[in-house]
Amino acid sequence: MKTLVGKFESFTDLEQYRSALKDRAAGVDCVIRVCCGPGCIPKGASKVYEAFRQAAEEADDKTVSVVPKLTGCQGLCECGPIVTLDPGGIFYQHVQEGDVAEIWRESVLGSGVVDRLLHHDEKTGQAARTTEGVPFYQGHQRIALALCGVIDARSIDDYIAAGGYQALAKALGSMKPEEVLDEVYRSGLRGRGGGGFLTGRKWRSAREAHGEPKFVIANGDEGDPGAFMDRALMEGAPHAVIEGMIIGGYAIGSSNGYIYVRDEYPIAVQRLRDAVAKAREMGLLGENILGSGFSFDIRISRGGGAFVCGESTALMASLEGRVGEPRAKYVHTVEFGFRNKPSLLNNVETWANVPAIIGRGADWFAGIGTAKSKGTKVFSLVGKVKNTGLVEVPMGMTLRQIIYQIGGGIRGDRPFKAVQTGGPSGGCIPAAYLDEAVDFDRLTELGSMMGSGGMIVMDEDTCMVNIARYFLRFLKEESCGKCTPCREGIAQMLHILDEIVGGRGTSGDLERLQELAVLLEDTALCALGKTAANPVLSTVRYFRDEYQEHIENHRCPAKECRGLFRYQIDAAACTGCGVCRKKCPVEAITGKKKEPHLIDADKCTNCGTCFDVCRFAAVKKV
Amino acid sequence: MPTVTIDNQAFAAEVDETILQVAARNGVWIPTLCYHAALEPYASCRLCMVEIDRGGWWQMVTACNYPVRRDVTVRVESERAIRARRGVMRLLLARAPESPELRALASRLGVTQTDFPTVTEAEGNCILCGLCVRACEERIGTAAISLTGRGVERKVSAPFGEPSEECILCGSCAAVCPVGTIRLEVHGDEWELVPFGKKGPAQRCAACGAVLTAELVREALARRGPAAVQGILAGEELCARCKRKKLVGQLLAAGGSGAPSAPSER
Repeated sequence: MKTLVGKFESFTDLEQYRSALKDRAAGVDCVIRVCCGPGCIPKGASKVYEAFRQAAEEADDKTVSVVPKLTGCQGLCECGPIVTLDPGGIFYQHVQEGDVAEIWRESVLGSGVVDRLLHHDEKTGQAARTTEGVPFYQGHQRIALALCGVIDARSIDDYIAAGGYQALAKALGSMKPEEVLDEVYRSGLRGRGGGGFLTGRKWRSAREAHGEPKFVIANGDEGDPGAFMDRALMEGAPHAVIEGMIIGGYAIGSSNGYIYVRDEYPIAVQRLRDAVAKAREMGLLGENILGSGFSFDIRISRGGGAFVCGESTALMASLEGRVGEPRAKYVHTVEFGFRNKPSLLNNVETWANVPAIIGRGADWFAGIGTAKSKGTKVFSLVGKVKNTGLVEVPMGMTLRQIIYQIGGGIRGDRPFKAVQTGGPSGGCIPAAYLDEAVDFDRLTELGSMMGSGGMIVMDEDTCMVNIARYFLRFLKEESCGKCTPCREGIAQMLHILDEIVGGRGTSGDLERLQELAVLLEDTALCALGKTAANPVLSTVRYFRDEYQEHIENHRCPAKECRGLFRYQIDAAACTGCGVCRKKCPVEAITGKKKEPHLIDADKCTNCGTCFDVCRFAAVKKV
Repeated sequence: MPTVTIDNQAFAAEVDETILQVAARNGVWIPTLCYHAALEPYASCRLCMVEIDRGGWWQMVTACNYPVRRDVTVRVESERAIRARRGVMRLLLARAPESPELRALASRLGVTQTDFPTVTEAEGNCILCGLCVRACEERIGTAAISLTGRGVERKVSAPFGEPSEECILCGSCAAVCPVGTIRLEVHGDEWELVPFGKKGPAQRCAACGAVLTAELVREALARRGPAAVQGILAGEELCARCKRKKLVGQLLAAGGSGAPSAPSER
């Protein structure tokens, strides 16, 4: 193939390179994609990839040309490590290093499949050869994640071969900045980081703002508990973010980009750094990009992992090298942001949508989703759902579809209780609203929010008071402490919840919580504090009875709050094996061998040891 | 020139003046704690919350840093604004219930007690307004202390919690502290900045022995003070009274000629 000498100097250079890459790909017999996303790496995916890489290297008889790819997240984290093979789109799950030889023999050299590694239907037991037969993958529509999990996450060539930087060439080559801006505006794209502000409007404000230089910033400081959408994106398709940013810079008249990424994401940091360096080397970043006369460059800045640094002003303070604390936004950051200059900050997922919008047009994008929420949204589906993973679906899909169809329902087929969306600023949505369409406005109406896309599913064993307490504790630790209401108010709310969960709640607690919630919303400096009460408010709204049970009767209906339920031995189920009696640290259990045992409630400290050690499920929570 | 209407009274304002400045200039009291006219607004205490008309809805803003850019209608004495300010004060009182200064301000706000328990620890009633830190950094240019830790762990501290090597014992932090957490204490010839533990000798008047300032302040001024200050420092260290006495003596010695013989000596 024609190898690239120096930099791309024109749009033609890029296209020629792309077609050369495609020619080269045509000669490949087999492509093996090993998912090395956030869910698969801990399960041993790196070793699986390494084994395939070695196998491909050693297959020096050149009878087959095999290309193993290390990809970003392919979605179904629950069943990782995932390996997919082309041709044929064979989908393997739970692949371990030891399975590589068999896959190589059967599916690379041969044309068969390794049945035990295929996905089998839970009920019928029928094997699925490709993702088409896997329920988790039905209903997905990948735009932001289009190439994540498909291309080699480290390869700019893969990104280009798959159509990458085509949108950039289109924008620079055939569109005026205003036209790019209009296209993004008309697409209806809204900010994917949480607020859901209309992206095009933000861009326009940034373009119209006075002051030079202007800055383009990507927010990769994802910090919601249970969320890994942005991480997966930055690790799996870093060039999509970069391409979006260059287009954004062109639209608003900026040549300076920053990606703010938390240092707890070392792989994302490395991928982004490598990607930026590679793009620069090839002339896709830097001076006179593709000979268009437009210049733009990106620097990577690592955050120390403070949740509050996801807030725009705190992020910019941190980017400036100062303590990451928010300041008032009475003058918006698009006018007065990083280094007091006009700054356009978007979440990485927002940026990754931009190339698709420019490439395929605003009308195409606006045709997806609901009336006011366009396009797709990436969710990280976690909690007590069967299929945990990374999901990108059109806006407007119902919670039921996401949780039951894609997620496969609740673990152990237990009843669904609630789903927490929007992270610490969001709320818990109960079963009555499972058929609601998921979009920005509807989730807000339900007392939750879209947020960045975390979705935590809960079953009946989850205490909603405890969940509210969990999020509040998280926020207490993550509050920067600058403003009084956030620092003192969250601590006060948490104190009340601690008392309730500890069985010391008093009447009036709910009113005090609600009063504090209003106070925080009215007086806190930034969104962290203003929305901190949401997990409490939404659980009080939908699960008031559960709070009241804790406060009035000192009972935890979910039997999660220690001390607010008792352990009892079911005489019918107890075999008298004596394990609980021996393990009880306070000798509260008595009983003769092979006869039902008994717990002395006065001695019992509710530690739960007996419950954990009983092999016959004879210890009950009552 | 924009007009700021506060509780139905219209006041003329300059562009980029803050609501608080306009209010103060016209005798409208808005409570503040973390604000000082000599420092940049910080808006952390949230005690100066007021409502502004956003056309259809009222936004809660901090008066100390809300910049007036066009006509703005403000409600200081609305129910919501009062409730917000009192709510913030009750939280502060729960943190530092012992502070007489805070209690005095609270009662002016109509808050006589707080129903919240004390759940955060305040060292010496510190309410973390940050005035000390900003005075040290913005005015003195020293940054000997800073706000360390996060959330409820936040506190004012010198690096590593040790007496600061940079502190010059000027006492600015103590002067701006609204709750008396920081004090400059004089123990004979030694000064101590409480609670930071910084100690240093006092500078005394060469004639009468009265305390002038800390030795470190004199050293710092000699190092980085403006030229005029350098001139003063070049002379003898005298207190104001002794300087006057010396000048009068020089005038008398000159025999009433009407001019001091050696003005340069001061």
